[in-house]
Amino acid sequence: MSTLVSPVPADAPRWPALIPPVLIAIPVVLKLAGIGIANAWVIFALLFGLMLTGMPISISLGLTVLTYLFTMTTVPIESVALKLFTGIEKFEIMAIPFFILAGNFLTHGGVARRMINFASSMVGHWAGGLGLAGVMACALFAAVSGSSPATVVAIGSIILPAMIKQGFPARFGAGVITTSGALGILIPPSIVMVMYAVATNTSVGALFIAGIVPGLLLATFLGFTTWWLARKNNYPRQPKASWPERWRAFRESVWGLLLVIVVIGGIYTGIFTPTEAAAMSAVYAFFVAVFVYKDMGVAKVPKILLDSANMSAMLLYIITNAVMFSYLMTSEQIPQELAAWMLDKGLGVVAFLLFVNVVLLLAGNVMEPSSIVLIMAPILFPVAMKLGIDPVHFGIMMVVNMEVGMCHPPVGLNLYVASGITKMGITELTIAVWPWLLTMLVFLVIVTYWPGLTLWMPKLLGVIR
Amino acid sequence: MKILDHLEEWLIAFLMGAATLLIFVAVIHRYAAGMPIPVVQDALLRIDLTWAQELCIYMFVWMAKFGAAYGVRTGIHVGVDVMINRLPGNTRKAYVLFGLLAGATFTAIVGTLGATFVWDIAHTDSVSPDLELPKWIAYLCIPLGSYLMCFRFLQVAWAFARTGELPHHDVAHVEGIEAAEDINPYALPDNLHPADVTDGGRK
Repeated sequence: MSTLVSPVPADAPRWPALIPPVLIAIPVVLKLAGIGIANAWVIFALLFGLMLTGMPISISLGLTVLTYLFTMTTVPIESVALKLFTGIEKFEIMAIPFFILAGNFLTHGGVARRMINFASSMVGHWAGGLGLAGVMACALFAAVSGSSPATVVAIGSIILPAMIKQGFPARFGAGVITTSGALGILIPPSIVMVMYAVATNTSVGALFIAGIVPGLLLATFLGFTTWWLARKNNYPRQPKASWPERWRAFRESVWGLLLVIVVIGGIYTGIFTPTEAAAMSAVYAFFVAVFVYKDMGVAKVPKILLDSANMSAMLLYIITNAVMFSYLMTSEQIPQELAAWMLDKGLGVVAFLLFVNVVLLLAGNVMEPSSIVLIMAPILFPVAMKLGIDPVHFGIMMVVNMEVGMCHPPVGLNLYVASGITKMGITELTIAVWPWLLTMLVFLVIVTYWPGLTLWMPKLLGVIR
Repeated sequence: MKILDHLEEWLIAFLMGAATLLIFVAVIHRYAAGMPIPVVQDALLRIDLTWAQELCIYMFVWMAKFGAAYGVRTGIHVGVDVMINRLPGNTRKAYVLFGLLAGATFTAIVGTLGATFVWDIAHTDSVSPDLELPKWIAYLCIPLGSYLMCFRFLQVAWAFARTGELPHHDVAHVEGIEAAEDINPYALPDNLHPADVTDGGRK
């Protein structure tokens, strides 16, 4: 058993246990007593109250809708129930299981090793050596595997011991890997982007293409922080690799990296729809894993199918309930009310984007990215449209925000996984990641207030106007 | 019970793999049929695969419903556990049980709604646009999947009430990486899944 976190003492305060019932009771009682209170407050109090009890997010979304419908509205239950059945019948949504499957085929230590070799042959001789290689390897592996925690484990377990052996402080390595592991949701193919696209009817292809430049730039930013810290502290470097060595490392890793090309190229040239591209990438990943890399035998395939189905079903179940929830939001006119309130207060684009970032960073304290996007996007998106913000820019901004959320406590998934492989406590890790976390926050501000950065590439390629 | 478990696993893994192959074949077919190879092209053009997309959707909807039930058993469903993981043992136990029973209630309601819905459309002759499959068959997964999920919630709740242990899903499992021996990946706290209540506190 892990001893990373001390057990909760038996005399720990019990009063927080009262938060959920009180949160649910007050607005519901007020509403039923006929005292004027906006529907939005009742819905959100119900939702947060139920969520805080620790039940699955999907269930709390569904129960909120059912409770609200049964007790205080005239919206016919059949119309909402129908959403529950038809909510995920969109071909675009089906890209999610395919991408998860593709990622799972390539989430293997062997793939991680090839990416690390390639990265360290390219950038290892600069200041920061293996640390810099870690950033690049994380970016490559995260793009292919599509899972941030898996990236932290795969790259971290291999590169961290090597770094410590070379004399890097443990904190430095942990900081690099924890933050760089989050790059996966920004560099396409990204499941969180598909979620946003589904929730707001934005083009998946445009989002993927828009993610490339910010993704590479954020990797550069994180790399720069690593390089700068390493140069200041004079951390060890790798011997410079020769070009034939680099070529060999590249040829080894290129099979995995081609997955990104298959997806982006296929969608951009119009050969595939995004969902077809996802299915093709899953078949491609299977082919590479079994026949090219030979990391796994065919006997492992059923296990991978089952794991992917398990993960996909969990996400699809959240989507089903989130669709129902956003239908309730729309029928109660909540996004419109929020938009009217914002415009009424004279809040412009700048203030709204600041507000969105703060709300999302707060949400990032308690939830994981997919749920946040599915719950918040349908509410915030109509307001953003009213203010004339580009849907693609808004999406990329949300995704960058989710990345920050994965690297800070109390919920940062990467932090917990990193704490497992480095055997460092959460508090110590939080201190370890701060230079990179700060870098990410600076980057978030840039992405938020400079739409051109995001929109440049899709505009150049003519994907959006 | 073992048979049900295996059937569930077998079904969702099969749907995942079959849907992937289906779309793969449909895409290959679309491009192959466009190539001017004399006999082959004629043969390919005679095969109509326009229903592939619809079938894929139904396969994944079925996979989603039964996979969600399987997910309860594997503890994959994420929640907000920041608060309850900071509560002392008994209070947390009460909350976890409440959450599990709420899940059972919700899925039971949805299952019943679904059963009524399926019953209603079974008496109409509505069929799906491409496959021309009766719609009630396609939607049968809703009552079946939801009731199964309800059963799984009750199963987990029962086991938890007796032993204080919950099923744990490992978010960060990577093949080909040896985990350090003294780390139990299932016991890592992530505040997205409730912690066990065996020692009166969080592990």
